[in-house]
Parts: sequence; structure tokens; C-alpha cells
Amino acid sequence: MAERRDSLWRRAGRQLMKRRGVVICFVIIACYLLVALLGILGLLPDYQERVGDSYDPPSASFALMLGTDIFGRSVVYKILAGTKTAMLIGLVVPAIAVPIGVTLGALGGYFGGRVDAFIVWFFSVISSVPYILIVIAISFVLGKGMLAICVAMGTVGWVGLCRLVRGEFIKHRHREYALASRLLGAGDLTIIFRHILPNVIHVAIITASLQVLGAIKSEVILTYLGVGIQDGSSWGTMISDAAGELVQGIFWPLIGVVFSMFFVIYALNVVGDALRDALDPKLLD
Amino acid sequence: MTHAPLPRALLALTVILTLALGACGGSKSSSGGGEGDTPAAAGNQKKVLNLVRGSAHKNLDPVKQFDQASADIVSNLYDTVLSYHYLKRPYQLVPSLAENMPTASEDGLTYTFRLRKDVKFVDDECFPGGKGRTLNADDVIYSIKRFADANLNAQSYMLMAGFVEGMDAFREETKKAGKDADYGTLEISGLQKVDDFTFTMKLTQPNPLALLPLAASQLSIVPREAVEHYKADFERKPVGSGPFKVQKLSRRGVIILERNPGYHGVYPSEGDPGDKEAGLLASAGQKLPLVDEVHLPLIEEAQPRMLKFKRGQIDLLGFDKNNFRQMAFKDDKGFHLKPEWADKFEILSGESLSTEYFVYNMDDPLVGKNKALRQAIAYALDIPGFIKDMRNGRGVKMHTLVPLPIAGSERELKDLQRYDRDLAKAKEKLVEAGFPGGKGLPPLTVEYRNSSTDTRQEFEYHRAKLAEVGITLKANFQTFSAFLQRVDSGNFQMTISGWAADYPDAENFYQLTYGPNKRPGPNASGYQNPEYDKLYERSRFMPNGPERYAIFKQMADILYEDVPVFVTWTYIPVSMRQKWVKNRKLNSMITGHRFIDIDVAAKTKGVQ
Amino acid sequence: MLAYTIRRLLYMFPVLLGVAALVFSLFNTVGEDPVRVALGQHATPESIADLEAQWGLDQPLYKQFLDFLVQIATFDYGRSYDTGEKLSDMFAAGAPVSLSLTLPPFVIGLILNVSLGLLIAYYRGSWLDRFSTALFIGAMSISYLAYIIGFQYVLAYRMDWFPISGYEPGIEGLQFLLLPWIIYLVVSVGPDVRMYRTVFLDETGADYVRTARAKGVSENRMLFGHVLKNAMIPIVTYSMVAVPFLILGAFLMERFFSLPGIGDLMITAINNGDFPVLKGLTMLIAMGYSLIVLLTDIVYAWVDPRVSLS
Repeated sequence: MAERRDSLWRRAGRQLMKRRGVVICFVIIACYLLVALLGILGLLPDYQERVGDSYDPPSASFALMLGTDIFGRSVVYKILAGTKTAMLIGLVVPAIAVPIGVTLGALGGYFGGRVDAFIVWFFSVISSVPYILIVIAISFVLGKGMLAICVAMGTVGWVGLCRLVRGEFIKHRHREYALASRLLGAGDLTIIFRHILPNVIHVAIITASLQVLGAIKSEVILTYLGVGIQDGSSWGTMISDAAGELVQGIFWPLIGVVFSMFFVIYALNVVGDALRDALDPKLLD
Repeated sequence: MTHAPLPRALLALTVILTLALGACGGSKSSSGGGEGDTPAAAGNQKKVLNLVRGSAHKNLDPVKQFDQASADIVSNLYDTVLSYHYLKRPYQLVPSLAENMPTASEDGLTYTFRLRKDVKFVDDECFPGGKGRTLNADDVIYSIKRFADANLNAQSYMLMAGFVEGMDAFREETKKAGKDADYGTLEISGLQKVDDFTFTMKLTQPNPLALLPLAASQLSIVPREAVEHYKADFERKPVGSGPFKVQKLSRRGVIILERNPGYHGVYPSEGDPGDKEAGLLASAGQKLPLVDEVHLPLIEEAQPRMLKFKRGQIDLLGFDKNNFRQMAFKDDKGFHLKPEWADKFEILSGESLSTEYFVYNMDDPLVGKNKALRQAIAYALDIPGFIKDMRNGRGVKMHTLVPLPIAGSERELKDLQRYDRDLAKAKEKLVEAGFPGGKGLPPLTVEYRNSSTDTRQEFEYHRAKLAEVGITLKANFQTFSAFLQRVDSGNFQMTISGWAADYPDAENFYQLTYGPNKRPGPNASGYQNPEYDKLYERSRFMPNGPERYAIFKQMADILYEDVPVFVTWTYIPVSMRQKWVKNRKLNSMITGHRFIDIDVAAKTKGVQ
Repeated sequence: MLAYTIRRLLYMFPVLLGVAALVFSLFNTVGEDPVRVALGQHATPESIADLEAQWGLDQPLYKQFLDFLVQIATFDYGRSYDTGEKLSDMFAAGAPVSLSLTLPPFVIGLILNVSLGLLIAYYRGSWLDRFSTALFIGAMSISYLAYIIGFQYVLAYRMDWFPISGYEPGIEGLQFLLLPWIIYLVVSVGPDVRMYRTVFLDETGADYVRTARAKGVSENRMLFGHVLKNAMIPIVTYSMVAVPFLILGAFLMERFFSLPGIGDLMITAINNGDFPVLKGLTMLIAMGYSLIVLLTDIVYAWVDPRVSLS
């Protein structure tokens, strides 16, 4: 079992590396993550600092590459700060949603019966309520800001994954290898996590990659509605400010932020697709 | 997998759909008029005023409405006993349902009102035969009773509290009686019907403010039949005698008001100096309203509002920060449109009846007990800079609470002490406060009632200015009810507040720091100063004049010294109108739809 | 089969009860306080208490919850706190608007996107596949908000192809809906086509397809006769669960294009703590959702008898 799994992953890795587009996308994502890391370490330039007059158009220096905002702050620096925020959201949301989704899905799918009934009930309830309603309600509890929307999106985001994982577990729990390991005396948890989970984890990986970009995009809408990031260091804030600035002919902040979003989301999409193609056993031929 | 030729059916389907969409995308909108276009045939004849609503109204029962959106509609559908002159400033009461201004008895306590005999409510099914009947003194007394009814009016009773004999007692009685309060048996002793068109109002003391509430939209005159017929739905089924009546009332869609042909009002024939030259007296003496219909679509986002205005589909539009920047500028002479817009639209500005101020919680152990700290903040904030950078210069720095067009504002007060930005003084005051250079001073928190872009930017501006002297400012952006809970219960350090005039008198602003009005009343800072309170009580019911202004000066000086509130600025409303809009003058006390005229020929040509 | 249907029908009740409990606890314990919002600043403790009593908010929570359950059972949610309107009137006014915003592009999009998905799956690996994937991913990578702002500015204002905003019921109002429809389609085409492509690829990789192909069944017949038919189940599941949410419209578009629908109503209700509207809306959607899931499950069971046995 173990050997086949390793080869699946290795093969997937080889397959990914063969495609130049995918490699480029990995590099793009790595760059964004590097910016985020610099931001966390406090090594990014201070976006609050005034580098010019109000609404300077773009010019040659790095700080002024995309001009300035209403306070004369560098749009580039703001985008970098926004990158940090976006990457954090993109990492934290799946970090909350994936473990919940996988665990509940695995338990429900494997044990069936009452456990399953409860879990199915739970996600049926959550998916019957409009997403935006729950997210805003949670942000009322936690106050506004990054933590609130991450937790909100995370606690709602596990539902789809849970459904998928549960489906996979239902298929796998009667497979020969699972039955065999039970006969050999393995406990339920061992079977779930050591034997079945590795065979269905690709579902989680693919979903997580989609969730990253979903979270980054949702942040924009939530911030526009006034429940998102408040301190001016997010792409959502920049886009909602830009909505008013565009009519004034000030296009550089909007262009800057739309493109920064575009590249990373494009890259995440491509990588998500490629992962799916590479990891889904059905598509291996 | 091998590539067979594309299945035909699939190809056809895709092609059809693409074409269908392409066709849709390419089809030019046939009618440019936007919302509520009148049918083409009749459209040429009708004078239509196209305006816009930024938020949806809540309640159209005059005594229950208190949001601006509701008041704007109520005041077009209902009429009041008195009103304000459209053109003259300072604001001046004029009769509306009354035939002329009421006369006072010799002791100044009893006013006699004579009503017009030619006013009818609009036709409505609540009246026998569906025909509107003549408005009489019973209607006025009935409407004032509703205004005083504790079960109906939770918001605006304080406008008249204590003014009229027996009115407070009536309110208590209604509270006891609950929902079944019977106006037939409960009376306001100071309010007496003389004949069908005459009534008297007896005051508790001579009081120049007592007539002002009769011009407020909350005291609109309503017919008893409509209230009893529609019951809970009266809030959505207005039946009045105002300049307009409802043609279509879609709260979240388009509201269409149409001319009430029976309306009695005429356009004023006198105005301020300069009004004649500005063409504001061209319609003098004409029967109001001057337009046939007013269309009021709800458009909540700024972008579509401005785009529609630029296409001529909206006749009047206020500026927000962003589009002012794009389209207009300010110089020493005032506000102007940039050349590319100047021949298309007209710009107009006026003076508002509102004030903005920082509120310090006087019960807070830090800011409330440390006068020097409050003064230091007042010296460190950059209000002119804020007005210039954040509000395109659409405002004026203020030094007393009273807005400039009101008698007794800083225009009438000499030698006022004032805070102007002075970093050296701010630093000195910080030393005096015990925090030299800000050392040892914990971050101060300002409470905000929302988290809009403007609010965030406002905070960032003030934070940067205070940081220059070492004061750290933090913000608490929160939901509106959380904000109210905090401020009304006194659980805060600082907040920013504003007050818009209920009536154009300085008293309405000096009460903001009057001790007994402590929060949850209007005195949000919780300021308590017996000396100030005594001055306020003395000045309250005095007629305007040097004697009253001298007391105002003393009160302003006390507030300058103690800084329970730091008065910052007043907003200047700047808006644009299409060239075909006539008679537009900003009036903060009444909605002016009925006075506005449209040059239909120019409008037909100008709308794209 | 009948037993299965009945079992599934009964299962709706615990789910609806769960939704009721979730919504009730979310908005009764957190969120805006409707009484404060209604009374504004400077409300006296007295008037706050009065209004709370009038709305029944002074009752113990369990009592309020029981009242809510009665409301659900009787479909009578009373009146909005915010405006005093009857909920049934508000929904009757808003639902047609929201549905006319979302339903047509949903149907067009379903047909269009399934066709495109099939087309692209058919040409898997070709330049068409690569080009369209790049295009669709690109379309997906731009924020929804940026589409609305940009399309309204460019297509409606600059080019004057559409009215800027507005709404009228009936055929007259069609002009106002075209641009929102286009935005809806542009936003949904990326994720949907990619989803459908995947579904079709899953099917074309399945054993029965290989067998059929080995037996010499033509590509066309296989695509339409087998793949499309079998792929319908996941497609129907994927798309049908979106149907109850269509009634919510698309709140951002409703705001920008002045469409008086239910989506914007919901956002306002959240911001004002308008419980009756929130409760009514959520229960309406939850019921719709449960019914749709029930229907798809029954169709499943009918297509594949193994389901009802498990």
C-alpha cells in the first residue's frame, strides 16, 4: 500500500514539474508567499508613510511605481501590505476549514449510523442558510477585522469538503485493503487516518487550493460590505476605495490591485487544476 | 481520445446562444430616461422633476418618522400649520395652513391661530364617497394630540415638552391609558377650539421657541379618518394636504409624487438681496407646486447616481468627496465646476444648520478628569487641514456649537477665544497634563458608529495629526447599535458627534452640554457645570438680541476652557443642478420640491 | 421507494429545526439590537423597555424561540421591525425582482456552460482546451466587485449600450436587466465550465466508456448517448442546490443597478437587526433548499435503486 502511494505522489510531482506553465505558477505563488513572510517579519516598507502628494500618478521610482493614494501613501507599499493580508487569509481559512471538513467527513463516512446522521444533519443545516448571513453574524460576535472574517469563512467553508470526504470514505471503507487491515487487528482510528485517509487526501488538497482563492475573493466583498479589514491594509479596502476613485480618473490603485489579485488567483487556479489532474486516480492514464 | 468532427447539435446550440447574447449586448437601450420613464406620449407635456433617494424611508406616519428619508417624503405629502420662508435668511416662520401668523395675547401666553378655509385633504377611500374633505381646527388638535401621545411618538416630543399648558399631563395620561387612549375624553387644556377654523394655544411661559415646532414635519396635520381606516398601515398610506400626492410608492424602487391640484401655496414674491438677480423670483406669485411629477428612485451606490446625473437623468445631485474632486474645485471666491463641466451643469452651495464636534466622556477617569489633555488634543488636531484634504474644502472651521446662519452664532459674538492648530501649545498642555511628549499616556480610543471608507479615512487623518505630538489614537469601528449602547451608557473615552438643527435657534445647540440633558440625552459628554446650566436656563426663552448673545459668549467661553466637547467644523453642502432646473436654493428647514421649476424644452433636449 | 421518500421527507424537519435554532441564536444573541437601531441615539431606557415589550424581546429566550417555531409552522412572521411592512408583502414585492435578475442568466448559463463544458471536454488537450481554460481562469481571477464597477462605467455610461440603473416590472424593464445578466454570466462561466468539464472528463474516463469505445460505438453517440446522460446526475446536483438561493438575487448588483430585490433587503435587515425579515428569509430559503435536495435525492434513488437501500 505504502509503496503505491509514494509512487502516486512522486508521479504527480514529476507530472507537475513537466508542465512549464505550472512551474511558473508555483514560482508566482512562492513570490507572494515570500512577500507575506517579509510582511510578517516586519521587513516590508511602512505603507502608512507618506511618500508624495495626494494622488500622484505613477512615476519611475519603486515606491511611486503605481502612484499614491489620497494620503500620499505609496500604492505599491499598500499592495505589498495587502498581499500579506491576502496570503494570511488564504492560509488561515483552509487551515480552519480543512481539518474540520476532513475529520467530520471521515468520521461520518467511516462509521455511518448515528454519527453519520448527526454530521449530515450538521452540514445540511449550515448549507441551508445563506453563506453571507452566517459570515456577517459571526463577524458580529468576533468584532470586525481579519480574525473575524477568517474564522467566519473557515467555519462555513468546511461543508463542501466534508461532503466530498464523506463520500470517498463511504466508497473506501468496504474496500479490500480496509477490511484486510481490520482483520489484522487495526483500530478504527488507525484505519481512518493511516489507511484510508491517504487515499482520499487529494480531495482535501484540491479543495484547499480552491478555498485559498475563494477566501481572497470573499475578503473583497466582505470589506465592501463593511465587515472586513478595517485598517486600510487589504486589497478589499483598496478596491472599495477605488470604486469612488475611478470616476475621478484615478485608475492606478484599481489597476494595481486588480492585477496583483489577478496573478496570484490565476496561479492558484492553474495549480489547483494541475493538482487535480495529477492526483485524481481516475485521470491517471 | 480521437477528435471526431464536432457534433452538429452542440455546435448549433453554442452558436445560437452566443448570438443571442451578442444581440442582447448590442441592443442599445431604447429609452434613456431611466427609472419611471413616463409613457412617451404624455412625457412631452409633463414637467417631471427627477431626483434620487440615497436611502429607503422607514415610516411615513408624521409622528413616527425621524429619519431624513422619511421626513423628505412626509413633508411633500403633508402640510403644517406654519412653515419657513423658502428664500429669506435667517430662517423665518411663515403661515402655511394658518391664514396668517398667529397673534399673541397681551401676556404673551395665548396664541390664536386662524386656519385657511380652502384646504382639502386629497381624495382617498378613507373618506365618505372617497372625496377629500376640508381641513379644520379639529384636525389640527387631533394631530397635536397624536404628537403628544406617548404611545405613538417616542422620538420628537422633546421639541415641545413643557411648552404648552396641559400637554405633558396629556402625555402622562396616554401612557397610562396605553393603546386605548381616547382623545375624545383626554384633552390638552392649553389647546382650545374656538370655531371650525380657529384654535388657541396657551403656553406655560412666554416662549419665542413655542411656535417653531408647528413648522416641523412631525407636526404635520393628518385626518382622523385615515388613521382609523388604515390602522397599522397608515405608516405606509399617507393621506395629507401637502403640495404632492402619491402616484406610486415603492419603498425600494421608484416613488412617484404627483401634483396636488388643490394645494394652496404660492411662490414667494420677496427674497434675500441677490435672489432676484439670480432668477429666484421669476416664479413669484405662481401657484405651487410648479412641476407635475417628482420621480424619486432609490439609488444607494454613488457611482450609478453620478453617472445618471451626467446623462441628464437626474436633475439635482449633491457631491460626494470623490466626484467633487473630479468635477469641481474651490478657490477664494467659492466653489466652481471644472471647465469641461461648467457649461453643462451649474454648481450651488449654501450653509448648513449642523455642527460636528469631538465628544470627551467627562466620566472617563483619564480624558474626563484631565482638562489639559483635552486642550492638548484640541490644539493638536488639524481641522482646516481636515476640511481641505478630506472634504475638498466643503466646510468651515467652527468655534462655537451654533451653526453660522443661526442668530447668535460666532458671527455675532466678538473676541471669541478659539483653538487653532499649535503644536508648541499642544506640547505644553501635554506637559501640564502630566504626559510630556506623550510619555506615559495610554492610547486613546475613539468610538465610530460604522466602518465606511470615509470614517476610516477620517480616523487615519486625525491619528496622524495627534501622533505628531505623541498622542496615540485608536479607533473602535462598530455596529450602530453597539455604538449607541456604548455612548449612551457612558462606556467610552471619545467619540465624534454631529447635531443638525431641529429648529433654527441657538438654544437647540447649547442644550448639547446642558447638565440635565446628560446621556442618553443629547449631552453625550455628560458635562455637569452649574454655572453653565444657569446661563443656559437664562438664555433659553429670551428673544434674540445683544443681551442673549452676551450670555452665549459666556457659555462659549466656559466650553472653550473646559472642552467637554471640541467643536470642529460645519459642513457646506455643495451640489449640482442641470441647467434646466429653476428656482433652486438650498433650504435646510424645508424640502423645496414644490418651488422648483423645469424648463421642459431644454430638458427634453438635454436628457441623453 | 415510497418508504425512502417518506423517510427523506421526515428528515426535513430536524434540518429545519436546526436552521431555526442556528438563525435564532445567531441573531438573538449577537448582531444589531433592533430596538436601539429603531430608536436611534438619545433613547431613554424607558422607551427602550417599551419597544422591547412591544416586540416581545423582553420574554425569556426559550419563550421567544417557541414563538418563532409557531411562526414557522403557521408561515406568519409578522411585520418588519424596520418598516412595519408585512413580510409577505415585502417578499411578494422583492422576489419577482430578484428572480428576474437571477433566473434567466441561471438558465441561460446552465445551457451555455454545459455546452461549453462538453465542447471543451470533447477537445481535451487541444489548443481550444488550453486557450479557453486560460480565458476562463482569467475571468475568474478578477473580483466580482471590479466587474460591476467596470462594466457599469464602461458599457452603460461610456458606451451607452445599456441604461445605467433602474427597474420596471414587465417587458419594459428588460433593458435594465440585460447588463446585470451579462455580469452574472461572465462571473459564472469560469467556475461552471471548469466544473462541467471535470464532470465530463470523469465520465469519459469511466470503464463503461472504454468498453463502449472498444466495442466500436461512435464518439458522437457515446458523448450524447452515454456520457451526457450519466453526467447529468452530478450536473443536476451541482446546479439545483443553487436554485433556492436565486431568490436572494445578487445583492451587490441589486445595489449598483437599483433593483429593488431581496438580496439588498437582506443586507439592510442584517445591518438593522431586523429579525422578522431575517428569520422569514432564512426559513424560506432553508425550506426551498431542503425540498430541492429532497427532490434530487429521490430522482437519484429512482435512477439508481442502490441509493434507497443504503
